[in-house]
Amino acid sequence: MAPKIEYYCPCLSESPHPPPPNRPSSSYSFHPLHNLFFCEECDAVRCNRCVSVEVSGYYCPNCLFEVPSASVRAEKNRCARNCFLCPNCRNTLTVVPSDPPEDVDSRMSPIVSTTLGEPPFFLYCNHCRWDSAEVGITFEKPTGLAAQLQKFEDSAPESLEFERLKEHFEPFLRASSSSSALPSASSHHVHTNPITAAASSALARDIPGVGKYNPLSRSRVGREKGAHRQEYPDYKSRVEVGTALSGEADVEFLRHLETVSQVAALEQRWTNSWVSPLSASDLKPLRIPLQSKKSKRCPSCRHILIKPEQKAQSVRFKIKLVAANYLPAIAVTLPHAQAAIEMLKRTSKTTSAAAQAEEQQAAGALIAGHSYSFHLAFTNPLYDPIQIRLAKAIAPAQTAEGDEAAERARRSTFQIQLPSAAFPVGAFAEAWEYDDEDEAMFLDDDGMEVVEARGKKGKDGRGKTRSVGIVEKRANVTIVSGEVLIPKEARGDVKFNMLVSYTYRSDDPEPSEEAQTGTPSRSHGANKGPEMKNFSFYTVVDLGSIMYREEPKLTADL
Amino acid sequence: MSTVPATPRRHAAQESMMTTPQTTRVASSHIVQSSPHYPTTRRHSLYGTEDRIILDPGSRIWKVGFSGEGKARDVFYAGGEGGQSLWTLNRASKPADREEEDRVLEAKLEACLRSVFHNSLLTDPKSRKVILVEHPLLPLHIKEIMARILFNNLQVPSISFASSHLLALLAAGRVTGLVLDCGHLESSVLPIFSFRPLYPHLRTTPLAGARLSTHIKALLLMFGTYIPPATSLSATMNIPAATRSTRVPQDVLTDKVIDEIKTRICFVGEPLDTEGPSQSMSPGPGDDLDLPPSDPAMSESEFSRVSADIDSNFSSQHAGSSSYSVVSHSQLAGMEHGQSAQSGVQVLATMYSRHSTATDIHMRVDPPPSQQTGTGRGTLIIPGWIRERAAEVLFEGGDVDESSVAEVILDTLLKVPVDLRKTLASSILVIGGTPMLPGFIPRLQAELTRAVSQTSNSTSSSAAPSRAGKARPAVYDRYAALRPLLPYFAILNNPAPPPPASANASANAGKVPAFTPAMMAWVGGSLAGALKTGGVEVQREKWDEAEAQSDEDVPMDSSPPRPAGGAGVRSSPAKNILPDWTRTPLPVGAPPAARPPGAAMSSPSVQVAG
Repeated sequence: MAPKIEYYCPCLSESPHPPPPNRPSSSYSFHPLHNLFFCEECDAVRCNRCVSVEVSGYYCPNCLFEVPSASVRAEKNRCARNCFLCPNCRNTLTVVPSDPPEDVDSRMSPIVSTTLGEPPFFLYCNHCRWDSAEVGITFEKPTGLAAQLQKFEDSAPESLEFERLKEHFEPFLRASSSSSALPSASSHHVHTNPITAAASSALARDIPGVGKYNPLSRSRVGREKGAHRQEYPDYKSRVEVGTALSGEADVEFLRHLETVSQVAALEQRWTNSWVSPLSASDLKPLRIPLQSKKSKRCPSCRHILIKPEQKAQSVRFKIKLVAANYLPAIAVTLPHAQAAIEMLKRTSKTTSAAAQAEEQQAAGALIAGHSYSFHLAFTNPLYDPIQIRLAKAIAPAQTAEGDEAAERARRSTFQIQLPSAAFPVGAFAEAWEYDDEDEAMFLDDDGMEVVEARGKKGKDGRGKTRSVGIVEKRANVTIVSGEVLIPKEARGDVKFNMLVSYTYRSDDPEPSEEAQTGTPSRSHGANKGPEMKNFSFYTVVDLGSIMYREEPKLTADL
Repeated sequence: MSTVPATPRRHAAQESMMTTPQTTRVASSHIVQSSPHYPTTRRHSLYGTEDRIILDPGSRIWKVGFSGEGKARDVFYAGGEGGQSLWTLNRASKPADREEEDRVLEAKLEACLRSVFHNSLLTDPKSRKVILVEHPLLPLHIKEIMARILFNNLQVPSISFASSHLLALLAAGRVTGLVLDCGHLESSVLPIFSFRPLYPHLRTTPLAGARLSTHIKALLLMFGTYIPPATSLSATMNIPAATRSTRVPQDVLTDKVIDEIKTRICFVGEPLDTEGPSQSMSPGPGDDLDLPPSDPAMSESEFSRVSADIDSNFSSQHAGSSSYSVVSHSQLAGMEHGQSAQSGVQVLATMYSRHSTATDIHMRVDPPPSQQTGTGRGTLIIPGWIRERAAEVLFEGGDVDESSVAEVILDTLLKVPVDLRKTLASSILVIGGTPMLPGFIPRLQAELTRAVSQTSNSTSSSAAPSRAGKARPAVYDRYAALRPLLPYFAILNNPAPPPPASANASANAGKVPAFTPAMMAWVGGSLAGALKTGGVEVQREKWDEAEAQSDEDVPMDSSPPRPAGGAGVRSSPAKNILPDWTRTPLPVGAPPAARPPGAAMSSPSVQVAG
């Protein structure tokens, strides 16, 4: 598994600190950079878990028709035109005409058109060859299919029964209007006080064959129930379950089943609220569900973070405040794993893909008792150079209590070394604007030695020098190196929270002008003269899990 | 505050003391106002304001849609594609683990709820009232998490909580009935009289969908056959499938495969003893179980022991039917139970397979990851009797803690006041996902009849043979009190009602609308929403208020600082605002009213549970 980095979104929580990285629940608080938004007003990162979403338009993903919101409800969020899904494979169905008839009398049909083909038309799946004639659905004309099917849907048994049920209960509820039978408002205690309630339920029950006795001079509850008793006999179903579809038939069908595929899968049946045949051959075509274009707002200041263009065909956004335009993108790599992969590519060309993946994983593994360096590549999206400072986030101490502290101590046994000094990342510019000559492509000669002097210097088993500091700097990318030292007894994932703070110039009028034309820039909001601003955010760096190679005794004492 | 300018000077000392509560009150009201409640930018809404959203959140499957519609808009696995359940009947015992569990649950629920509004229903949550169909035993912490997400994250204007059993009854067009909800984690029975759920008489059993799944898995591990894919294409021609067939590796039976087997090819057969009561009564069981002589696992003594067990099992439901329970409790570990258990199961399997005419099914399954070398997919052969008899586990009673689905109904009937029993017994409604198994409801009817009528049967038969040489003690006749009700038992949504034995039964059995058991509760919720009723409603103002108050309280009375858990656990602020029947005060205030002669027989345990 490749090492990865994710960004933290505080999601309006009180504490600005991220949760410890090793909890399974923490993974929900960290997101890849491309999923995050940035609110300029609040100066904060927002994620898809906390933004409030509004529908800005409905469209059919198949025909890209923008459905006016008035018909969205009537059509139950489904495309009301010619778009259908195959009930078996969920492929889009196409309308095909019948074979041309040989006999003359079917030519009498009024809408015969040579260009359209012969009616009846039916739906056909190009993938699994299902066609709607199998379930008896054919069409007179090849357009407006949904409208032609509508009459069947309107007379669906469940909706008719539903209306009937509604009519049955409505007078009953109206009779007991103020204290509805299902207590509607405020609380459980619609029946005023517990005394009446208890008494009425204990005493005013309808006992078959026993006359009603009501000491509390006909309490409301008693009256309404009496009303129900007298005026409302049991509901008479339109279609009774005993006569609708015999359960015996289903049992017999299953008893003599030959293959699994004869029975419709649960997912194909489970929206049916009406008893329906089990067999897969009875499935009806599905109308394609609509999709919506969503605009998202900051949960605290209600400013729009992202707003798509109205047209269904357009994939652009009117407003787009994504975090990738504000925060430096970070990519994390393990040089030793990459080197190993390169080696593998060169040597083993013949082995199977699975085996190769396995070998790659083995080569990139972090083995307990060794130390590894990792590279963090920072890419600056801003039009100004920034200064970045890294720190390993220290979990707040107050939660450390009892066994939890012990657990943390055991887990965070690995040591992380990050460059302590701030380092610059060049400004973003179009590719052709970078000057090749004065680009400090290789700082290794001098830069490396500097960082070696102040960073930790160590030798691993192979005697190679490792260091912490800037590795490479070009264009708007700076690669720095960190180091992880894994003791022999460490286990679990090498995963740590990293605080990234960067300083940027927020004054420059030039980038703000550019911001209007091209990519928005962070300096857009603040124009108070030359000023350095600071922004920091948390990330979690996951370098992979620690592997054991030759110490089986370690696993024994877990 | 308004009193401040008018206060005379001599009150100054008092006032300084009194200001504190006043300022806090002002502060709290500020918080209420500043809460982002229902912004003025009210958008044109697609639906009428009275159209509500009906959420039926199960532990595995969620059903969502709009009120006033006959079917749900969307049904989905809440725990992801694999169909894991969001919560189980257990919680972690360590507080730290539990907190972590809750955080994960909250994150998952949040994802589900957000996707309900944004992907399934495509609607703006801020203008939609929600009816939450809740199981009576939905854990409070889950209910709180859901309310917190709905109010804080999605900002719905109000949530109504309605009991799933009650709503299902509504969908059946009834106001009185005994509702059995056989879901994934547990089956529960709730008597409802005249719209009022009698919560104290709620009875549950863990025999439900999840148990059925583990049972199917255990049976397949023992009796299923797996044919791995041939290692090469030529091998498929040369090596016959029979030689390749093996026992079923555990890895093949993923939850998804088991779920597919359960939902697609399993059904519930009739009880076996109905076809030959004379056989089970006959003293010599040999003719009943003429096993193939080649069976090596059977020694003579074991054979007789097992057959005796089956005999007693046939004759009496309550005598410890070890042969049944061996199967049911052999959850994966069953194979290590030892030889005798194995052979007992074997006998049972032989018996079932002899009586079952269901076809064996060949199912294509993905080979286990360790054997991924073959050509294509493997084949799993599911014996027909497993398809037919796997659900026996749900109907097999005798365990005090895990009563069968039929017994849990009878237990509830024993609990309810005697004067309700007849009414309730003749209006049993079965809902939930597990009753979607074809044949489940007719079988339940048969089991009810059997359990009630059987005890007299068994006392006579157990006295007669006295196999072990000593007379058995008189069997505890648990359901004797219910025996007079026998002709009245009727399941409202029985698709194949038996010939009615009484007017009550004939008026009720199979007379409700043909909604599927699984969707009943949702349809009821939709109906309740359309009728503008639907449970106790909590407004968002109330919630915000309660939360603001508790925010003030928290720093004072809970001095230990909160865990710095980011989006982690917040102390549940509005604990008391969410209605729940477990929180209704017991009607202690009811005066001991003089008992009317007519109602004298009603038991004193009747309580208001509305």
